[in-house]
Amino acid sequence: MKRKISLIIAAMAIMMTKVFAGTIHVVATTQDLKSIAEFIGGNKVDVFGIATGYQNPHFVDPKPSYIIKLSNADVFITVGLDLETGWSPPLLASSRNPKIQKGNAGYVDASIGVQLMQVPSSINRGEGDIHIYGNPHYWLDPLNGKQIARNICDGLERISPENKFFFEANLKTFNETIDTKLKTWNAQMAKYKGSKIIAYHNEWCYFENRFGLQVVDFLEPKPGIPPTPSQLVKIIGEVKDNHIKVIISSPYFTTSSSDVVAKQTGAKVLTLATSAGAFDSVKTYFDVFDYNIHQLTNALQ
Amino acid sequence: MRKKIFLALLFLLLFYAARAQTDSTRADSLLLLQIQNQLQQQASAPAAPARSAASANPDISAIGDFRINYTSNQKRNFNAELHEAEISLQSVVDPYARADFFISFSRNAETGEFGAEVEEGYLTTLSLPGHLQLKAGKFKQMLGKINSVHPHALFFVDMPNAYVRFFGEEGLNDEGISVSWLLPNHAFFQELTLELTDGPRDNPSFARSTENNYLRLVKLKNFWDLTSNATLELGLTGVSGANYSQHSTNIGAVDLTYKWKPVQFNTYKSFTFQNEFYFSRADYLDKTVKSIGWYSLINKQVSKRTFVTARYDYTNLPSSKQFVEQAASVTLGWYATEFQKIELQGKYTTANEEDELNNFKKNFSSVFLRWIFVIGTHGAHQY
Repeated sequence: MKRKISLIIAAMAIMMTKVFAGTIHVVATTQDLKSIAEFIGGNKVDVFGIATGYQNPHFVDPKPSYIIKLSNADVFITVGLDLETGWSPPLLASSRNPKIQKGNAGYVDASIGVQLMQVPSSINRGEGDIHIYGNPHYWLDPLNGKQIARNICDGLERISPENKFFFEANLKTFNETIDTKLKTWNAQMAKYKGSKIIAYHNEWCYFENRFGLQVVDFLEPKPGIPPTPSQLVKIIGEVKDNHIKVIISSPYFTTSSSDVVAKQTGAKVLTLATSAGAFDSVKTYFDVFDYNIHQLTNALQ
Repeated sequence: MRKKIFLALLFLLLFYAARAQTDSTRADSLLLLQIQNQLQQQASAPAAPARSAASANPDISAIGDFRINYTSNQKRNFNAELHEAEISLQSVVDPYARADFFISFSRNAETGEFGAEVEEGYLTTLSLPGHLQLKAGKFKQMLGKINSVHPHALFFVDMPNAYVRFFGEEGLNDEGISVSWLLPNHAFFQELTLELTDGPRDNPSFARSTENNYLRLVKLKNFWDLTSNATLELGLTGVSGANYSQHSTNIGAVDLTYKWKPVQFNTYKSFTFQNEFYFSRADYLDKTVKSIGWYSLINKQVSKRTFVTARYDYTNLPSSKQFVEQAASVTLGWYATEFQKIELQGKYTTANEEDELNNFKKNFSSVFLRWIFVIGTHGAHQY
C-alpha cells in the first residue's frame, strides 16, 4: 500500500514538473510563422499553425475548434497588417485568453519593422481588394524572414526570459542559414534576372523584388476579382509580345484560366509554394524558396 | 617660485584647452559620422512608410439592404423598399473589453417613417479568468443557429416561418447580460452560455413581465471537426420567460448543422445542411399549448460566386397546435465580392387556417429580390 502511494506521488511529481517545466504553447496563423517559431523556439515550444500551407490565408474559416487552441496559448503570432482581418479578430475575441490579446506580451505581430511595399496613399475598393497597410505577403522575401524571426524571438523572450540565450542562439543560426541559402538562391536566379512573368494574384512583389523577376500583369483584373474573358485576351497579348515563358499561380486558385492562356501561348503554368506546407516536399520556410527557385529555374530555361 | 607656479598653471590650462579641442573635434566627427550614416541609411532604405490606417476611430461600416418583393396575397403585389440601412461601430474599449454597436435605420410599419433603432449595443470582456466571457447591453441572443446572425449574412432573404411565428421577424434580441464559459474539453469545442434579460417587448412567445419573471436562456454549443473539410455543430437551447398572458412559456431549441468546405478550395466549393427545431410549451390563462416549428435547408456553392439554397419550413403557433403552416423556397445567390451580393428567392406558402399575417389567404406565393451592399471596414462573420 505504501509503495502504491509513493508510486502515485512520484507519478504526480513527474506530471507536475512536466507542467511547470512548461512547454510554451504557440499558435501561429500560418505555416511559415509556425516553421520559423519552431526554429527559434526549438524544443521549448509546441506550435500550432491555423491556415494550412495550401490554403488562401485571406479566407480561413474561423472554426470554433481553433478557439480551443487559442484559449490555451501562451503566444499568438500573426502575419499582421490586414491579411487575417476576416478571421483572426473573432477567434482572438472568443479565446477568453488575455495573454494573447493585441497589446499584451503574448501577441506577436510578425510584420513589425518590415519594409512594406505597395502602401496605398488612399483606399478605394473600386480597385479591388486593396490592403490598407501595404502588400501583406512579405514573408516571400527571405530577408524579411529574418525580421519575422526577430519579432518571434522577442515574443518568446517576453514570455520565457529564462530561455533568452537559447532563443538568441537559434535566431543567430536562423539568420546565418538565410544568409548562406540566399547566396545560393541568388546565384541560381542570377541568369534569369529581369525575366518577365505573369501571376494570378498580386502576392509576389516581395519575391519578385528579391530575385529580380518582373511580374508584367495578373490574371485577376483587380485583386480578388476572378479573371474575366477580356483580361485573358489582354494577358494572351502580353505573353506573346513579351515572350513570357511562365505564369505563376498558388495552390488555392484553380488553374482553369491560367491553362487557357497557356494553351494559347505555350507559356507554362507553375503552381508555386506560397507557404510552408504548400506541397508534401515543402516542409519548412527554407523549403518554400528551394522549391520555388527550383521550379522557376527549370521553367525559365 | 611664482614663475614656476604660473608656468605650471599655464601648462595645465593649455593642456585642458587642447584636450577640450580634441574632444570637440571628436564630438564633431562623431556627429558627422552619425549624419553620414543617417544619410546612407536614407539612401539605401527609405524610412518605413506611415501605416496610413492607424486611427483611434472604431471600425465603421454601413450596410444597405434593398429589396423588391412580390406577394400574391395582397391587392398591391409589388413593393420596393430600403429594408434596412445598418451602421456598425466596433472597437476594443481598453485592454479589458471590446464594444460593438449596430444602429439600424428602417421604416416603421405603422407610421411609414424611417427611424433609427439600436439593433445591438454591447460590451464584451476580454480578460475574465476561468475561460469566462461576459456580454452586457442589448444583443441578439444565443438561441439556436440563426438568431445571433445578422440577416444580411444569411443565405436566404426571408426568415424561416417557424422562426417568425415563434420569435418574430427580429427574433430574440433583448437587454441584459450573457455569460459564456468555454468548457475545458480538449477533444471538441463546447461552450455553455447563460443569459438573463429584461424580457422582449414585442415577441410572439415572450413578453416583458410585470413581475420578476425575467427571460432566462441557457445554451450548450458543441462543435466537431469531422475531417479537415467537414464540421458538425449541435446546439441545445432552453428559453424560459413570461408570455403576453403573464404566464410562462418554455421553449427548447435544437440546431444541427453539417458543413463541408474543402480547405484548399474553400472559396470555390461548399455545402451546408442546416436544421433548427423549436419545441414550445406555453401556459395561458385557460390552456396549455404544446406546439412545434422547424426548418431544414441545404445550401450549395456551385461556383466561386454562385450559391443555391433550398429550404422547407413547418410551423404551428405558440398559441395553437392546430394551425399548421408549411413553405418551400429556393434562393439563388450571386456574390460579386465580399461587399456585395444579390439574392433571388421564390417561395410557396400553404396553411390549414386563415391567418392575419398571411392576409387571410391559405395559399400564396412570394418572390424576394435582395441586394446587399457594404462600405467601410465590415468585420468578419462567425463560422
